[in-house]
Parts: sequence; structure tokens; C-alpha cells
Amino acid sequence: MNRVLALLGKEILDLRQNLAIFLPAMIVTVVAILIPVFVAVIVPAVTGERLSDSGDLEIALEMYKKDPSMRSLDPEAAIQAYVFQYFLVMLILGPITSAMSVAASSVISEKQARTLEPLLVTPITTLELLGAKLLGALLPALVLSVISVVLYLMVVVLTAHAGVFSVLLGARTLGVVFVLGPLAAMVALQLAVCVSSRVNDARTAQQLGVFVILPIPALLLGQIFGGIDLTIPLMLWMSLGLLLVNAVLMWFAIRLFDRETILTRWK
Amino acid sequence: MLTASRLTRRFGDRVALEDVSFTLERGEIFALLGPNGAGKTTTLRILAGLIAPSSGSVDIDGQRMGPQSAPQLRARIGFLTEAPGLWDRLTVRDNLLVYARMYALPSPGRAVDEALERFEIADRGGDRAAQLSKGLKQRVALARSLLHDPRIAMLDEPTSGLDPASARDVRDVILSLRAQGRTILLCTHNLAEVERVADRVAVLSRRLVALGTPASLRQKLFAPRVRIELTHAAEPFAAALRGAGLSDVRADGTVMSVGMASTSLTTPDVVRRLVEAGAGVESVVPEEPPLEDVYLKLLQPEDEAS
Repeated sequence: MNRVLALLGKEILDLRQNLAIFLPAMIVTVVAILIPVFVAVIVPAVTGERLSDSGDLEIALEMYKKDPSMRSLDPEAAIQAYVFQYFLVMLILGPITSAMSVAASSVISEKQARTLEPLLVTPITTLELLGAKLLGALLPALVLSVISVVLYLMVVVLTAHAGVFSVLLGARTLGVVFVLGPLAAMVALQLAVCVSSRVNDARTAQQLGVFVILPIPALLLGQIFGGIDLTIPLMLWMSLGLLLVNAVLMWFAIRLFDRETILTRWK
Repeated sequence: MLTASRLTRRFGDRVALEDVSFTLERGEIFALLGPNGAGKTTTLRILAGLIAPSSGSVDIDGQRMGPQSAPQLRARIGFLTEAPGLWDRLTVRDNLLVYARMYALPSPGRAVDEALERFEIADRGGDRAAQLSKGLKQRVALARSLLHDPRIAMLDEPTSGLDPASARDVRDVILSLRAQGRTILLCTHNLAEVERVADRVAVLSRRLVALGTPASLRQKLFAPRVRIELTHAAEPFAAALRGAGLSDVRADGTVMSVGMASTSLTTPDVVRRLVEAGAGVESVVPEEPPLEDVYLKLLQPEDEAS
């Protein structure tokens, strides 16, 4: 455990000297926060057209009439809650981007600077090495998750109708931000770690992140247009799927982080 | 202290190392020589438990290197890799501190301070590694590899890229380690360095070509010769020696080189004959071919050598 902490400390020190690495994740997070504000607050305010008068969003009204937590809201607030609730999944993009950037950069910079071999001579085990690398990328992603949800809720409090905030403070929000988000970030960073061991360019590893990122906007569109309701049971199934993907990637990562593989097969 | 027994390592169809055996004794400096691709780095990695041999074994202090024992045995080894491998964005001190914690040293901060002092880099402790010259980086890497006071130091090209003064500092460190009873395995192309510090030499070219002290290798490969400096031109006296039955005598100016392999005469006999012939002898020294000649001869293809 000491060795994991020692290496994790190094990862965090290194990241503190390289804060620019978080810039893409921060931009993605800000955009993910601003889009629902734009849709649910700014556009109606600018055009003077209430969301509840728009025929395009009737489906939202119908869905929320069935939701006990929404019954106290007026139609406009209910549609705002609908928009903010559905766009919540976009907050997962920030941690995914952060995790991928950090993991890919961490492994590839170690390869380029040839800093892994001295590390491998120490008594550190494969699991400890991999664990420190994964935690070093996951922890900033988790911190970003918390910051982004706090900002999101603050924006909701400041801009949305009264009552929207309390609707958002539920299991669904927590599930998206603290279960689906970290699991998706973990998939992204494990994918980045595995790919980074075979390439010498962090961008190549990050480009593959599209496979993790694409399902998120797809889920959003599915919610808006396809009638997918991100219920707790659905989230549990999705989490189970992500856990399975994580387990498979972990299996690969453990093999790739074997000393002999690093020294003889990494490119 | 360390025994390598019949080490063979294949990478697919390619044999990187074949049937290599040797032992490292406590308090000796053992140099591993060989051309590029001879298997030196592979040997070091096998000895340090970083990669497994395809066959053969490594024992350290009687304990067999294997997946279970490797982490514990690696703690007894200090390994200087060919590239310094420092984290550029971290300070020198932080680079060392991470390793001090990895080795679970009781007082990591103090151990780092001592290492910085010992390698005369205390004033650069707060600098980022990226700001250091190649020589300083090498020095930090050496400090890192010896931070946990290992009993065996495996040093891959320790003076590579260093200026002469820094290279001498590194050699002094290596010699001081030997004085403390540490075992040093030196992997280098710098034959002059080996000549200065090594107790024993192994020449590797996929297989072990030769193993012994520099003197014994010289003796094995080169006939003994004596270099005699005279006060006057040597050629007339060389002819006199040839007349006395010494067939291998070379003269160049006032210097004479006498091959002693195919004669029953001893060096004092040769000197006496020269004096009797009227030569003024200034100095008599055994002629030692440089280690480079030994090395090149060992690695010569057999048909060329014959």
C-alpha cells in the first residue's frame, strides 16, 4: 500500500505541474453545464416563448405528469426539470475526458522519458503499479465529477424555476454522477492505459476515447427523442454493463503491465 | 553472493542469450562487456528479476529468483538503467523521495538528504529534473539506484555521456562501494573504465566468450612480452638477441619489444645479455596490451583469429 501511495503521490505532484492537461475536460464540463441553461432558460427568455407552450416538449410534460416529484411544479418548471435532468448525463463527459487525458499522458510520457524501467526494479508489484496509475487518473476525474455537479446544481438554483433544484436532488442525479460517471471514466482510462502501451502518441490513445464518449450523447438523444427514461433499474443495468467492460479491460491491463511485457513488448 | 546458472533467453525465434553462467562475489567489481546486441541488458534484466530466463536460474544469497521471491530480492539490488529515467516535471528531491518511499525507508526525507549530499547535488535538490545537464541527471539516477543501500549494484553504462571529471566522480563512487563490501556489476562499452576499476571481466556475445581477471585474459590471449628502453638505437642489440635464440624481437628507435613465449630465457637473462652486448638499459617493463586489444581479439571471428 505504501508503494501505491508513493507512486500516487508522484502522479499527483506531476499533475500539479501540468494543469493544462485538464483544459479539455474543463471546457467539456463548462459546455455540458451551459447547454441545458441555454435550452431551458436563455432561449425562452430571449424569444419570449415559454417551453410549456412548445409542442416539441409535450412528451416531457406527459412523462413528468406521471412522476410524483414533479406534480408540485408548474408546467414550465417541469420542462426545465426535464431538460436539466436529461442533460445531466453530459456531465459524465468531463470526467471521461479528464481520465483519458491523464491516463494516456501518464503512460506515454513514462515511456518516452524511459522512467518505467527504474520503477520496475523496485519491489513494486504489477497490481500496485497499475493501481497507482489508475487511481492517479481516476481521482482527478472524481474530483471533477463533484465540482461539475456542484456547479450544475448552483446554476440550476440561480437560473431555473423554484422547485427544479429539489427535483434534481434525487437518486437519479447521484446515480449518474457518482456511479455511471466514475464507471464510464474507469472504462475510458483503462482503455487509454491499454492503448497507450502500444502507441507512442497520447492523441492516438485519446482518439479511441470516442468509443466511450459516443454512447453518452447517444443516451441523451435517446432520452429526448427515443423515450428512453433513465430510471434507477436502467442505471443499474448500465452500471453492471460498465462493470463487466471494466473487468475485461482490467484483465488486459494487468497483462500489459507485467514487467516482462513492459520491457519486451511495449513500443 | 549472486549465481547465474546456464541462463538462456529467447525472444520468439531469436536467441538473445545462450547458456551463460557466472558468479558475483561479495565486494568485487565485475564488468560485463560485449558489442551491441550481445545480450548484456538482457542479462542485467534477468539478474534483477525483471524478465525471466527461458531456461537457467539466478540465485542471490542462496535464494532462487522467481515470481514469489523477486520483489524481496529486488530490494537488495540497486539498478542504474541506461537512460537516467527521471520524472522531468518533478524536482530532484521529489524524484528521490518517491523512490525512498517505494523502498519503505524508515526516514525517507533524511535518506534523500544524505544521498543529495553524498552525490554533491544538494544545491540542485529543488531544481526540476528537466533543468539538469546530462551529467547531473546521471548523477541523480545513480543516487536513486543506491538510495536504499543495496548489496548489489547493477550499473548499465554509468559514465555514458559524462564529462571526464563527472566520469571520475562516478568511478570514485563505484570504488567506494567496493570498499564497503558491495558487489558491483558494471555493464559498459568503456574499456578504459573497466581497465581502471574491474576485478573480473566477462565478455559476452550472446554466449559467454571469456571470463576472468583482465590480467588472466591478457595472459590467455597474448604471449608475454617485455618492453626494454635503451640509451641508444635498439636495432643492433635486437640482432644480438636474435643471435642468442630469441626469435621474436622488435626494435623501434631506442625501444625494444621482446616476446618471451618461445624461449627458456627469463627477463633478467635477456637484460644481462643486452648489458653484455654493451647496451645501456634505461627501463624494463612487462608489456601489457590494452584491454581493448584483448576484447577485440576475443570477439574476432575464429577464422580471422587463427
